[in-house]
Amino acid sequence: MRAHSRVTSWTLLSPWVFAFGLFGLFPFLFSFAASFTDYSPIRASEARFVGLANYARALHEPAFWSALSNTALFVIGTIPFTTALALALALAVQPAFRGRTVLRVGFFVPSVVSVVVLSLVFKGLYAADGSLNTLLRALHLPAPDWLLDPRAALPAIMAMDVWSASGYYMIIFLAGLEAIPRELYEAARLEGASSWDCFAHITLPLLRPTLLFVLVVNTIRSLQIFAEVFVMTHGGPLGRTTTLVYYLYEQAFSRFNLGYASAVAYLLFLLSLMLAWLQLKVVGGRGAKG
Amino acid sequence: MSDSAPAVARGTAPYRALWLAPVLVAMLLPSVWMVAISIAPEAGNSFARALRGPFGLDQYRALFSSAHLGRYLLNSAVVALAVVSLNVVTAAMVGYTLGRRRVPGDRFWTVGIVATLMLPKQVLMIPLYLVIARLHLLDTYAALILPFAVDAFGIFLVRQYVEQLPIELEEAARVDGASDWNIFLTIVVPLMRPVLAVVAIQSFLASWNSFLYPLILVDSDRLRTLPVGLALLSQTEHSVDWGFLMAGSTLASIPVLAVFMAFQRQILSGLLAGSEK
Repeated sequence: MRAHSRVTSWTLLSPWVFAFGLFGLFPFLFSFAASFTDYSPIRASEARFVGLANYARALHEPAFWSALSNTALFVIGTIPFTTALALALALAVQPAFRGRTVLRVGFFVPSVVSVVVLSLVFKGLYAADGSLNTLLRALHLPAPDWLLDPRAALPAIMAMDVWSASGYYMIIFLAGLEAIPRELYEAARLEGASSWDCFAHITLPLLRPTLLFVLVVNTIRSLQIFAEVFVMTHGGPLGRTTTLVYYLYEQAFSRFNLGYASAVAYLLFLLSLMLAWLQLKVVGGRGAKG
Repeated sequence: MSDSAPAVARGTAPYRALWLAPVLVAMLLPSVWMVAISIAPEAGNSFARALRGPFGLDQYRALFSSAHLGRYLLNSAVVALAVVSLNVVTAAMVGYTLGRRRVPGDRFWTVGIVATLMLPKQVLMIPLYLVIARLHLLDTYAALILPFAVDAFGIFLVRQYVEQLPIELEEAARVDGASDWNIFLTIVVPLMRPVLAVVAIQSFLASWNSFLYPLILVDSDRLRTLPVGLALLSQTEHSVDWGFLMAGSTLASIPVLAVFMAFQRQILSGLLAGSEK
């Protein structure tokens, strides 16, 4: 049999070679280099090597730490809820019953709509005289001006994120659940195991790879929250909703500190890698009860 | 919980409905709010007033006359069409090659794909902006299309799919003297149709909803896509006109919701393929 023609192989592969080189690898390496300079596009030829100054500046900049802590709060405050809700929904809609498809589809709807649209809708719902506050006042509950209150703004965006992301991860959990052999549950039932026993000793351990995947993907996504902030708060009030990517965007495109912003981007990249690795160790490794 | 015995499932159904129904309402209510506010011109952002009417499409008309929503819609459609077509073609070519053929450095290219999938995309926003600037493509359709024409996720999906296809058909054709291109176009591509449909739908949703890159790569109003146009409209208005914004939001959501309803199966299977890597 003839061997594959090399020319044909390269031709077929060329889109990726071109795209990966021009829009992937080159930018990645370029920004790594730029992060050690005081690069600015206005005077690109004068860029000077500044060593680790940009990184040092980030670590001394209160605004950077504030963005980092807002992002950390966001991650810590949303991921447990999103994961728990997504898993609960997946368990609830897995067995065959009438209306299950409607539920699956309904829960997934927020995941297909543009984040900008969702953010505009929630901006309207969260307004001082918005529908949420009308409801809260009717129930005699406190009704702050959600997006203008420094204490309420970030939690409000976080609540929206839990709401919009749960359906997506529900679908991924469903796939994990479908992959667990039915016989395991039947055998356990015969031995007299309760629903809780089945969940704790069959579902949860076998779902671990899926759980890990959901945690990693959701963490990386949550580190990148941007559109919500851009549309709903512009980073305010008092910088309380400035996330890392919003900070990065402001530094790069409002203040044109491209060298500094590149360093911040690399710190974000390192943070994503570290968190993914950590979760791989904690959830993926052999835990105490594994 | 995950019990398959019908008797048990029926027994727990009422309790399930007790908490699932409110969750479903909570998931869908914001969309209902959006549509209600968009068709009740006198309601402002009050849901109660919106439900009482009167109803009308004034705010949709205003979108096209006073804002350039028609233009944004057109831009989103042009960009999505180009991105989807290019993605389908390139994912088929590259995915097939990496799944089937020996190419120099195939390990390197595959690692590049997985790394691209894992890397937070925002990390590249500055250098990508500079590359587009250096190519003199800032503020053009090309800036909105080219960087997204070849997508690692689509290639990954096709590669996984091709590896599972039986190779006998291709080998038989090769023995019969068919050329590489003939085999690819007449045998492999038709077999890949299901996965290419997934690629098309995924890239449509991603392109239609894309926000950060269109925001930074394009500056002039006439090139704005819908999400960017809507986000900026919401900020230039002195007093926010909710009906107007919700009309735009509704229009922006209709295509993705229609595609989702029509292709649920493909969308969910694309999602699951991604989770099995």
